[in-house]
Amino acid sequence: MPDELDLLRGANPVPADGPHFGDGPLGHDAERRLNQLLHGSGPFGRRRTRWMWSLATVAVVAVTALALLLAGPDTVPAVAAPRPLLVQAGSTPVPLARMAEIAEAAAADGSPTLRKGTHVQTWSMGMSEDEPPITLPVERVVRWRADATHTELVVATDPRHPGRPVLSEGDGQPRMVEDGHVISEQTFGPSWSDAPPESTPPHDPGLLKAYLQETQYPSTTLTTRELLDAVRVLLDHWTLGAPEDAAVARLLADAGGLRPVGRVTDRLGRPGQAYVHDGQGSRKMLIMDPATGAVLGLEDTATSAEPEWGLKVGDVMDYSAWMR
Amino acid sequence: MSNDEIFAAAYREHYWAVSRYVARRLDGRTSEVEEVVAEVFTVAWRRRTDLPATPLPWLYGVARNCLANAVRGQGRRRRLVDRLGNDETAHGRQVVASPDTEPPGAWVHEALARLTPADQEVLRLTAWEELAVDEVAVALDCGTRAAAMRLHRARRRLRTEIDRIRPALAADVNSPKEHGHA
Repeated sequence: MPDELDLLRGANPVPADGPHFGDGPLGHDAERRLNQLLHGSGPFGRRRTRWMWSLATVAVVAVTALALLLAGPDTVPAVAAPRPLLVQAGSTPVPLARMAEIAEAAAADGSPTLRKGTHVQTWSMGMSEDEPPITLPVERVVRWRADATHTELVVATDPRHPGRPVLSEGDGQPRMVEDGHVISEQTFGPSWSDAPPESTPPHDPGLLKAYLQETQYPSTTLTTRELLDAVRVLLDHWTLGAPEDAAVARLLADAGGLRPVGRVTDRLGRPGQAYVHDGQGSRKMLIMDPATGAVLGLEDTATSAEPEWGLKVGDVMDYSAWMR
Repeated sequence: MSNDEIFAAAYREHYWAVSRYVARRLDGRTSEVEEVVAEVFTVAWRRRTDLPATPLPWLYGVARNCLANAVRGQGRRRRLVDRLGNDETAHGRQVVASPDTEPPGAWVHEALARLTPADQEVLRLTAWEELAVDEVAVALDCGTRAAAMRLHRARRRLRTEIDRIRPALAADVNSPKEHGHA
């Protein structure tokens, strides 16, 4: 019988001779990061610059003032992290099981239908040890064609403030850009991957659960929190049809741990019913369409501070709003 | 060689071993590996005067702390997943061969998951990174005797869990080996 270490060696998920991360030349990004470290650009370079200023504060007051003046429009403003959605006072929470019934009824005629690709607006917090957190608003549209190619368009935009400059991150450096600034536009060659989340999601709740498990956490049974993460991955790849919406709603209702809290208006101005899952360090709020039971959004809010990252209780760390 | 040159050499030699270390602990979330590895080497750069002659176990120790931070930095990780959402290597496909098969070693992972994080890490460093006890001690920032004791106890507890899960254990187990360090 092999001993326990032999068994563990045999279960190495990323062996050195496996298909990924095998020894060899560095890729372009790895080379670029090494150069940034060696030659002082990038985040570490910024940190070093600050330190040097503090050493010679008196002597370089004029220089510092000039630098601040010149920095002008590129300077990253100190923007408070977005606040969580407010639940409308006095609104009646709808139990998630009832929402699943609504979704199942809405799916009776089979429309709308499932479509590969996504349209999602995100607000994602970026943190570092030496800078305040920043929130990057991004819209991402992925469209698949019949020949199995797909395009991805990513733009910097914040629909809450149309036309106003937004914070974006290029090459690791946050800066203000105009609304609608194209971060990337790419066309990908044909792909016929048959593994989740690229394979077609089922609309049976049990099968969908297995699909989501394979998507995200293949070796352990999904907790409700992990299930929410997996749903996010699913929605970042697929625009669900009514049957899949109903399966997601049923799956979430059966999972337990999601507390109905009432009516909200999401960041895109849509009415929603909110369901909260409290976990260690953060609270996830699921927003569902009260008419169809479709998932409209997911909000992740800090419930404990992380001073080393500048994170405060009540900061929204991540918000995704999905659209058709 | 200057500190910078020594760092650059360690970066080039061990970049992929550190990537594997991180990938093994992100449970198949391959899309996040690159960013965590970047952070590992950024931290290592700041501490490059501490870089030992055999840097890999020390780099694993840095990576262990970075992973703990990455788990806390949910928002930042999410942003990376968004950015790399179309990465063909993402979503654990290196772990799961096909939707119809049980992931290789799934039940061993299950046994491992029943142990404490400290037990898991000493076992993974030994079995997956193939570190000797003195190297495990460097990675865990403890003494060699303490590392040996931790490994001894962790092995015993893993054995117990394996026996609970698979009393009649099949003996034909492949053992892919880690190369290129130590």
